[in-house]
Amino acid sequence: MTSAPVAITGMGCICAAGINLNDTMAALFSGCRAPAPPVSFTCSHLINYPVFEVQGFTPPPDLLRTCSLGLHAAREALADAGLDREFLDSIRVGVSVGTTVGSAMSNETFCRELRFGQQPDMTMLERIQRSNPAAVIAREFGFNGPCQTIVNACSSGTDAVGLAASWIRSGICDVALAGGADELGRITYIGFIALQITDDSPCKPFDLNRKGLNLGEAGAMMVLESEQVRAMRNKRARSFLLGYGSACDAYHLTAPKPDGAGLKSAIAEALACSNTDPGAVAFVNAHGTGTPDNDRVETQVLAELLPGVPFLSTKGYTGHTLGAAGAIEAVFTAACLERGEIPASIGFSTADPALRGNPLTRNTTFSGTIALSESLAFGGNNSVVILGKGGVT
Amino acid sequence: MQIAVQGIGVVGCFGAGVAKMRQALLTGAVSPAAFDLPGCGTPLAISAFRADTSSLADFVPLKALRRIDNFSRLGLLGAYLALQDAGVPAAEKQERLGVVIASGYGATGSTFAFLDSFINDGDICASPTYFANSVHNSAAAYISIMLGATGPSSTVSQFHHSVPSALQTACLWLAEGRVDRVLFGAIEELSELIGYAWHRQRGRADIPEMTPLLTGAESAIPGEGAAFLLLTRREESQGGYCLLDRVITGRHLKPGFLPSPLDLLVLGADGRIEKGGDYAKLAKKATVACFTSLYGSMPGSPAFDIAIAALMLKEGKTFDSPGSAVCDFPATVATGGESLKGCCVSCLSLSDDDGFGLINLSKG
Amino acid sequence: MNTKEKLKKILIEDLNLEELTPEDIDDNAPLFGEGLGLDSLDAVELVVIIQKHFGIEIKNMEEGREAFRSVEALAAYVDQRLATT
Repeated sequence: MTSAPVAITGMGCICAAGINLNDTMAALFSGCRAPAPPVSFTCSHLINYPVFEVQGFTPPPDLLRTCSLGLHAAREALADAGLDREFLDSIRVGVSVGTTVGSAMSNETFCRELRFGQQPDMTMLERIQRSNPAAVIAREFGFNGPCQTIVNACSSGTDAVGLAASWIRSGICDVALAGGADELGRITYIGFIALQITDDSPCKPFDLNRKGLNLGEAGAMMVLESEQVRAMRNKRARSFLLGYGSACDAYHLTAPKPDGAGLKSAIAEALACSNTDPGAVAFVNAHGTGTPDNDRVETQVLAELLPGVPFLSTKGYTGHTLGAAGAIEAVFTAACLERGEIPASIGFSTADPALRGNPLTRNTTFSGTIALSESLAFGGNNSVVILGKGGVT
Repeated sequence: MQIAVQGIGVVGCFGAGVAKMRQALLTGAVSPAAFDLPGCGTPLAISAFRADTSSLADFVPLKALRRIDNFSRLGLLGAYLALQDAGVPAAEKQERLGVVIASGYGATGSTFAFLDSFINDGDICASPTYFANSVHNSAAAYISIMLGATGPSSTVSQFHHSVPSALQTACLWLAEGRVDRVLFGAIEELSELIGYAWHRQRGRADIPEMTPLLTGAESAIPGEGAAFLLLTRREESQGGYCLLDRVITGRHLKPGFLPSPLDLLVLGADGRIEKGGDYAKLAKKATVACFTSLYGSMPGSPAFDIAIAALMLKEGKTFDSPGSAVCDFPATVATGGESLKGCCVSCLSLSDDDGFGLINLSKG
Repeated sequence: MNTKEKLKKILIEDLNLEELTPEDIDDNAPLFGEGLGLDSLDAVELVVIIQKHFGIEIKNMEEGREAFRSVEALAAYVDQRLATT
């Protein structure tokens, strides 16, 4: 079934590389990155694993930091789209947000006190109960449309964008804010180290010496808009969401399927529903976490389905921002299409002969109008969005 | 597009399977039991409706479950029961089957176990298995793995809004033709963490039964379980229970917004005092039913209501609302065993931030 | 109880191999794939298990790979590490 393009009229993001989209894109093209040991928490591991923390962002304490990252990006995206409160009140607006931390009833201090019989009060958990990311955004802006917090681990952000496009197409809402948000914290940090997929040096996606990922944190949002609303306000689209596909490996809880079957299905679905010829894809924003398994499966699938198409990982600039990753990378993909240029895939220097392809090593201009962003997640989820260059129609 | 409910898989305090649920609906006899919270440092117990997953052994060898935690076991059992109820062999490869899971709290037992692992033995001893199980989509992953379901998979988590929101996604996938069938399910686990939170926030251990249709009185008793539905497009349905006409979600539902015609309104009222008044207001003049006393208060409860509504539509008659002998709602409570006058049933659930979910079902 | 017996007991308990008894586990059977049927997630769990029960840190999987061949190999590794610390 072919699906109609959905206009993206506003974007916003916050991550270690920058507190808004312009700053972040500038950092990506300057080739700068600054992973460092965590500042906001400490652990007793002998090694300090570098992370990508957002510096100088001190949100109010009443909500989870995750929500504040999401709200920050949402404000930028709405302003970018030129949508004011009064107009938004007159239409039906939906919110879909991907997250991992933003929905978990998980608080270490609370757990510690409980275990030691100190009868913790509910303040810590009540803060979580107030902090469901999609609900917080809908409440903050007074939206009354559909509202969904998606928790598909590392593909959540991609899925949130894909879902919002479905809402617009089916008329469930007129405008949707879609994206992802996740904060960095001790619990996730310890968890990923326990899984032994964390690099103790700055991550090196697709490199021979890659040892794993570095964690990051981010918020990223897109404004998706129906053609009726867009025509009403004569608004140019920054990009178009052309297609979305997702499929489950049904293979293992933490390991990707070696043949990449789920990722292949997801790419095939996204290409088919957007009627995109694989030859028209200008570049791929790969998941590219820098873990040995992920990068192997991904390059193999790309070599098979999109041979010769340039690809990159932006996780070398932002770290792996988990539930926000798919969203922020969709934003980057749209911004690169707009600019006609892709940044170098930072962290890569030595080709791995076992991989069927290498990422871009320098900032590269291109002339195409279509690009693909993909996410592979824990639980075997694979999700893909295809974006098109913006314009009036 | 109309969606058909082909199969139901339920696990709750009443037992596992539609037959057990039906039996409980007819007898109205489900009693909460004491739930001890030994991990809270001091002796503590609350009253709760707990669910048992031991019948999962009917579907899978125990060996295959060794890593699977209680949360995912609840989900797996619900999933297998729904497939069995729809007559779909579990061994069949499910390439066009989507999995959509709703859970308000997620796998809090494993989340707690993961925290314990490094609180007790130091950061370096954090258990990767508990960490993996604590991730919200672990149940969806296990279900997909065990069933070989290679279609799309998604998990939604936003407390009491999770079910209507996730169900909307399931319906969209079918309408768009992304999948031919969706296994939709809500899962809630009563871990010690949730038990303790309940104790602190609600603090009543002495409630003998829930009286959800009485405003101004706290009578909620926490529950756990899973409620799954196997959904297909109407044109591909065979037999089955009923049609799912529409899922409406949003904020600030006004009384006039209830669908028409409406023959029965199933209320998600669950004895939580802060919501009782809102349900009463919206139910004004309608013929209502409420079944939360059979399975308890939990974010995923609307999925149980849909399952019961589907069963009523299939049988063409209503069930008594347990715990409704005391009722001050300005509505008519349907009497059990009467034939459903029309064929339109709606399930209403209210969530935080004035959110609502309205799920319209019909006989078709 | 010698290291092998202790290891078997720990494996059964910590990896939830409930259907097995220590006697069922062959000293030389592979822990992964065929044999006990453990997988990549068990491998990283095993690193934590060895740390927790014996205080031995296995720094990376390269080091673990040889030790994780069988109960026999793991017991020899544990004994050797305990003797040298």
